[in-house]
Amino acid sequence: MSRPNVGIFGLTGCAGDQLVILNCEDRFLHIIAALNIRDFAMASSDNDSACDLDLAIVEGAVLSRRDEEQLERIRARSRILVAIGTCAVWGGIAAMDGDTDRSQLVRDIYGECGEQFDTTPARALHEIVGVDLNISGCPIEEEEFLSGISNLLNGDLPIAPTTPVCAECKMREYNCLLTERVDMCLGPLTLGGCNARCPGLSIGCVGCRGPVDDANLESVTALFMENGFGREDIARKLRTFAGLRVVAHTLSEDES
Amino acid sequence: MKRKIVVDHLCRVEGHGGITVELDGDVVSDVQFQVFEGLRLVEGLVRGRRYEDVSQIVSRICAICSVAHALTSLKATEEASGIESSPQTVRLRDLMYRGENIESHALHLFFLAIPDYLDYAGAAEMAADHREAVALGLRLKQLGNAIQETIGGRAVHPVNAILGGFGKLPSFDQLISLQRRLRQGMVDCEAAVDLFTTLPSTEYCQIDTTYAAKRSPDPYGYYPGDEIVVRSNEGSEVYDPGDYRAVIREETVPYSHAKLSLHKDKPFMVGALARLAIDHDRLSSRARHAVRMLGLPLPSGNPMDNNKAQMVELVIDVEHALLTVEQLIDEGLQQEKPIAIHPRADTGTAVTEAPRGLLIHSYTYDSDGRVVAADVVTPTAMNAASMENHFRHAVEQSVEKDLPELKRKLEMIARAYDPCISCSVHLVRKRHAI
Repeated sequence: MSRPNVGIFGLTGCAGDQLVILNCEDRFLHIIAALNIRDFAMASSDNDSACDLDLAIVEGAVLSRRDEEQLERIRARSRILVAIGTCAVWGGIAAMDGDTDRSQLVRDIYGECGEQFDTTPARALHEIVGVDLNISGCPIEEEEFLSGISNLLNGDLPIAPTTPVCAECKMREYNCLLTERVDMCLGPLTLGGCNARCPGLSIGCVGCRGPVDDANLESVTALFMENGFGREDIARKLRTFAGLRVVAHTLSEDES
Repeated sequence: MKRKIVVDHLCRVEGHGGITVELDGDVVSDVQFQVFEGLRLVEGLVRGRRYEDVSQIVSRICAICSVAHALTSLKATEEASGIESSPQTVRLRDLMYRGENIESHALHLFFLAIPDYLDYAGAAEMAADHREAVALGLRLKQLGNAIQETIGGRAVHPVNAILGGFGKLPSFDQLISLQRRLRQGMVDCEAAVDLFTTLPSTEYCQIDTTYAAKRSPDPYGYYPGDEIVVRSNEGSEVYDPGDYRAVIREETVPYSHAKLSLHKDKPFMVGALARLAIDHDRLSSRARHAVRMLGLPLPSGNPMDNNKAQMVELVIDVEHALLTVEQLIDEGLQQEKPIAIHPRADTGTAVTEAPRGLLIHSYTYDSDGRVVAADVVTPTAMNAASMENHFRHAVEQSVEKDLPELKRKLEMIARAYDPCISCSVHLVRKRHAI
C-alpha cells in the first residue's frame, strides 16, 4: 500500500481527540511512517492546505461559519472523511443547551463587541457534510481509532462498538451502580467501547460516548425516577454530551 | 513606510489563533493576538446543573489542561460546600497535576517548540534526523500520561477524581509500576536538559515583566494553597483567591474571542516562567542545577525563557512525583471513601496552577446544589495582553527588520507562551447578582 495522504483537522472543541492521536506514543513513529500526513496544523507548520486527501480526520463541532466553510473545503478535497470524538459525531457539550438564546449570551459575555462575532449553534459534522465513519468518545479510545483507521486504509470495514457501556460493565462483573447505589448511571443508554471505564472506578457513566442505538430510554428514565431523581435533572444529564438531545427534548416536552 | 506582519493561522499550538503586527517605520503602531476559536459558551451550559455534574462538563474546556479544569472545579465546589479534602486526596490530586504538567510540557517542548530551534516543521519531520530526541520526548510524554491514567483513570478528561476524593485508589502494583517509570524519567530529564543546552540562543526580547502565580504552602505545589502572588520589579503583592477580580481586569476587544487581562492597567505573564520567578527560592538542588545548566535568569524578561522554565519544571515534576509515589508506597494508601457533599447556598473560588499558568474557577450554588453563576479565568486568556506586549517589544528590539524573520520570531514567541487557545475563549459570564 502506498502511503495515503492524510489530513487531521480540529474545528471548535478541546483538541482532545487530536491529543489522543499524539498520545499514541509507542506507535507514533510507526504512524508517521505509514501515513503521509500532509495537513495537521496542531503538529506541523508545513501544511498543504489544498492537496487532495485520501483520508480526512476531523474533530470538533461546527460553531461558526468559519468552521462550516472549513469543513466544506475539507470534504471537497477528501475521499474518506472520518468524524472523531463526541463533538464531531453528536455536537458535544456545546450542543447540550440548544434552546439558549445565543446572541443574548454573546452580548452578555462580550458586550457590544460580541455582536459582530461569528457564532452559530453547535452542529455535528453529519448535519453539514457526508461522513464516512463516526468514531465517538470524549475523548476517542486510542485502540478503536487506530484499528478503525487501519481497517479503512486496508479496505476493510471498521468494526464499531454496538453494545451499551452497561453490557461491557456486566461482562467485567462490576457492581451495578444503578441498582446497588442508585446513581444516575447512563451505562444502559451509552455507546460502549470504553470497557466501562467509569463504572470500573465506581463512578456512574456520564454518557460521554454518545447514545447507543435502540436504547430503552423510557425504562431507564422510569428507573431513575423511581430512584428519586427529578425529570428536569434527568433531562439535563441526558443532554450533557448532546448525543441524546433529541430524546431529551421529548422528555422535557412530556413535562409541560 | 507602513508594513504589516500577518500570521494567519498559528500552527503547532492548541486551537485557532493568529497574529497581526503593524509597523510604521521601526515603531509598532498596532499589535493583535487574534483568537477565532468558536464560542462554546460553557457558562450557559453549567448554569442550573447539579454540583456533581460540573467538573465533567468544565473538563471539556480543554483537553491538554483537563486535569486542571476538572480539579480546580472540584476544589471550588468543595470550598462552596464547606468541606476540606483529606491530606491524601490533596496529595493524589497534586500528583495528577504533575502527570498533566509532564505530558503537556513534553508535548510542547518536543513537538511544538524544539522543531523551531532546529528548523523543522514538526516532530514528525524532526524524527527523520533526530530520532533519539523525538523518542526521548515521547517517553517523557508517556510518563505524564501514565501518571494521569493511574491516578485519574484516563489521560484526557480524567474520570476518577470526584467531589470529596476518588472513585478508586491506585493499587500497590500500579504505584510500583509508576515508580519504575519515574526512575527512568529522572534519567530522561537529564538527557532532555543536555539536549536543551545545545539549542541556539533566542534573545528576542528583554523587558520588565510582571508575573503572577499561585503560591503553595509546600514548595512548588500546583494544587494546594490559594494565595495569588503578583511580582514585578516594584516588589510582590499577595492576594486572596476571592479577590481575583481585583487582581485581574478584563477588557473585550473586537478582534479576538479572548478578552485581554490586565493587572493595574499592565499586562502580566503566567505559566512556568512566572512560577519559577515567584518560587525560585524554594527549589530542590536538582532543579537549581537544571536552572544553572540552562543559564536561566530568574526572573527573566525574555518570554523565550518560558521554554527553559518548562524544561526545569519537567525536572521538578518528575522528582516530586517520584518522591510522592515512594511515600505512598512506604506509608500505604488509606482506603478513604469520598467525603459526602451536602449542598448549601454559597460561593466557592479556587486557584491552582495549570500547565500554562494560574487557573481560577468560581461557582455560586443555590441551596439545592445547582449552579447559579460560574466564572472561569484561564491562563491563556490572562497571557493574551502579555503576549501582545512581548510581540511589540520583540519587533521593535529586533536588529533584523526583514519581515519573514520577524514573522518567524513572533511565531516562536507565541509558541514559547504555549498558548492553549481552546481555553482562552472567554467561556463564562461575569458573576452577576443572584
